[in-house]
Amino acid sequence: MSTFEAKNQASAPAGTHATVNLSISGQELLFPPLPYDIHARADAATANKQLQDFVHVATYRKDVTRKQVTSETFGPKHGAFRDLGAAIKQHTLDHLDHYLEMFVERATAAGAKVHFAQTADQANDICLDVARRCGAKLCVKSKSMVTEETHLLPQLQAMGVETVETDLGEFILQLDHDAPSHIVTPMIHKDRRAVARAFERELGAVYTEDPQQLTGIARAYLREKYRRADLGISGGNFLVAETGSLVICTNEGNGRFCTSAPKVHVAFVGIEKLVPSYEHLGVMLKLLARTSTGQPLTVYTHVITGPRRPQEHDGPGQLHIILVDNGRTEILKKETREMLRCIRCGACLNACPVYRKIGGHAYGAVYSGPIGALITPLFRGLANYPDLPNASSLCGACFEACPVKIDIPRFLVQLRSEMVSRKITKLSDRLFYRLWAWSLGRSWTYRIGGWMQKMFFRAKARQRGTLAKGDPYRSRGWLDHLPGPAAGWTSQRDMPTPPARSFRQWWNQERSSS
Amino acid sequence: MSGHNESSQRATTLGVSQETLLGKVRQALGRLAGQAIAAAPKVDPNLVRLATADEDLVALFTKRATETGMKVYRVQAADLLRQIGSILEEAKAKRVACAVGTLPQAVGLNDALRRRGLEVVDWQAQPGFEAQYELDAGITDVHAALAETGTLICNSDAGHSRGLSLVPPVHIAIVRQSDILPDMVDYWLRVRSVTGKDLPSSQALITGPSKTADIEGILITGVHGPGQVHILVVEKM
Repeated sequence: MSTFEAKNQASAPAGTHATVNLSISGQELLFPPLPYDIHARADAATANKQLQDFVHVATYRKDVTRKQVTSETFGPKHGAFRDLGAAIKQHTLDHLDHYLEMFVERATAAGAKVHFAQTADQANDICLDVARRCGAKLCVKSKSMVTEETHLLPQLQAMGVETVETDLGEFILQLDHDAPSHIVTPMIHKDRRAVARAFERELGAVYTEDPQQLTGIARAYLREKYRRADLGISGGNFLVAETGSLVICTNEGNGRFCTSAPKVHVAFVGIEKLVPSYEHLGVMLKLLARTSTGQPLTVYTHVITGPRRPQEHDGPGQLHIILVDNGRTEILKKETREMLRCIRCGACLNACPVYRKIGGHAYGAVYSGPIGALITPLFRGLANYPDLPNASSLCGACFEACPVKIDIPRFLVQLRSEMVSRKITKLSDRLFYRLWAWSLGRSWTYRIGGWMQKMFFRAKARQRGTLAKGDPYRSRGWLDHLPGPAAGWTSQRDMPTPPARSFRQWWNQERSSS
Repeated sequence: MSGHNESSQRATTLGVSQETLLGKVRQALGRLAGQAIAAAPKVDPNLVRLATADEDLVALFTKRATETGMKVYRVQAADLLRQIGSILEEAKAKRVACAVGTLPQAVGLNDALRRRGLEVVDWQAQPGFEAQYELDAGITDVHAALAETGTLICNSDAGHSRGLSLVPPVHIAIVRQSDILPDMVDYWLRVRSVTGKDLPSSQALITGPSKTADIEGILITGVHGPGQVHILVVEKM
């Protein structure tokens, strides 16, 4: 045994068979009462200095790394690579029935059992049935966004199957009854002290803030779980139609453990995860990790084709793949199909100025950030999430970051217009914008409006002594406080006043004098 | 929750049938069953390939693998066993297991390890990972290696475990120069003609030691898998 292992053993809790209290109170974070109002959580997040620091630093760093790594790796080919990634996913979605059929046939031929679920409940029922049939007592689970969607864990536990999240971040969230707030780095909103407290409280570990030691405690604890687990649950990053393979990308190795150590493996995979062949998979893999974390590939890219072969010594005897619809066939319709290209790299979250301020939980759903703002209203009803299409400045950073070129801003605008036509947008907002559009559409209303604004701003600035004097075409002043809803602007920055004479006046004067 | 018949041994009827799901998909796409499809996007190797056979593959592989946190040693075949021994000594390993296939360079490995006082465990003695949990190191060959990303490819088969590159805290991989392919493209081309049961149940592309940055973005190695990966690139004789 190496010194590293020995140290872990020493600091590991006595009796690693301790059962964790697994009730999930974090569920309300992802499944809030509907319709969901973003304001309370967004305000709380922006007022939380610690969260602001963590999320901002983490996302900013990842965004910078992504830009650096993709430009170093792909150079001038980057655009063509993204085009190809987008084309591969779009083609597969356009002919999804064909590739699903091929996948089912090949995966079955390789010995896997493929199941089909239209709803979250059906997907969970299939899994519970497998658990019951194999007499599962302990389940180890690696990260899967689909099982978050279907809310699988409480059901397994209600059935008496102890279920342990094994991704370090997810494990800590589970201990802390918290919920993931980022697709790729689920506990981006927590610090090491929170981890130390959770390990001390739930595992009886000695309090330490050293990340290496904390990781060691988790390693020793979860090792014991792998050893005894009789069921492993995973998600899937890709399905390869031509070979019937399931591909799982992880860095920690828990994905390989969960899919290899227990005698039964169940994978939850959305139907949009297909790619035609290994050749196409290669392109997606080259894009995924570099865009997500800046690595050339995730540490473990695990390609699973069927269960353990008779001549092999380890691996699960049964492989169940649950193909999950859960609202995807609605999005698959022509107008919104492109959104299903998403490979869950998280780059749009890291690039988004809104996500960086409000964090993942403010989105009130499993998927956060720009892609979450887009697909959550489609999965769970636009009327249930009326704030999400507006939780964006439409700056386009998400589109630029997306390895499969999903035009997120364009779709957000589409959702906003649907909200207006379905009268989900508040009446006062609809009237205000209609009035605004009307006044901008006419020269005389525009002129009067501009003149009134100038007079008001300049009078205010004069009053406060912040109006500059000099060239009437250049000199302007500023306002450091505006009343009413405009106070939101001046709380962060000054509002410049227009100069004494407008461009229009200058233009007329120049024309008459020449 | 739908009803369940405890005594039922027949195929599960939970969820929906394949045809029902495919029907919903076809309806959304406006396609008919069995309708022809457009050709899949062509993957132009000139675009996708990020490393070619013209490059010094050993040098590129060494550079990239090192960048991911693995340690690479270039050794002569005659020096291989001695080098493995010194890595194990440094790691204070006592119990090891090997899955090196028919690698001619590794002939006599088990005996050499025993002579050094190490316990060589037969990982095949028990099914599953059970015999592998108490190991200090796993020694394997590889099915391929990729220069462009610094990746090891370890597949499962009769002579290769899923666990030896995962379960012990130290993984030692023996890579022959001829194992190193320029790019992932080349590996997929190699396995292109293989499908279904002829594929290994597990192909693991390994690019670095087990890693996490979940706690405050601080990089920690060895979270579930090996914290140390040592790669011995055996030079041509």
